[in-house]
Amino acid sequence: MNVWLWAAAVLTVPLAVLAIVGIRRPLLEGVVALEAAGIDATLVLLLLAEGTRRQAFADLAIVLAAMSFAGSIAFVRFVERLR
Amino acid sequence: MRDAISSALLIAGVAVELLACSGVLLMRDALDRLHYAGAGTLAALLLAAAVLVRDSFSLIGDKAILLAAFVLVSAPVLTHFTAQAIDRESRR
Repeated sequence: MNVWLWAAAVLTVPLAVLAIVGIRRPLLEGVVALEAAGIDATLVLLLLAEGTRRQAFADLAIVLAAMSFAGSIAFVRFVERLR
Repeated sequence: MRDAISSALLIAGVAVELLACSGVLLMRDALDRLHYAGAGTLAALLLAAAVLVRDSFSLIGDKAILLAAFVLVSAPVLTHFTAQAIDRESRR
């Protein structure tokens, strides 16, 4: 295991913590945690791509960044309509 | 030399991302948390720079640049959009 994979493993831990924030806190605070988790997961995929020398994983990181952006916007709109 | 610079950028990026996530965890209200969620952009820039220093302008290096550019543009938009929603929510 090289340093890139260790870095990816370290950045996986906050995902669980952010999931707890997303579940336990009020709705909009949960959306903020979701946004932070989206960037974190994107960076984990980039580090995995570099660590395993498989550049296809970097495509996944780019797609996840785009989907996470669109998903977060949709969630914010949804929360606003809910109220 | 390249490996040393790349490792330093990698460690800095991971540290910034951990700080951003701990900020989102520890702050009290939604706007305070949102400040720290935006800090992930800096981590993305540092990690993309680390990949770029290690691999130069290869296929994965170009993708790292693209990713960093996308996060650099999208994160402030998302932060602004969310902050507006939080503000409207607090006025009700």
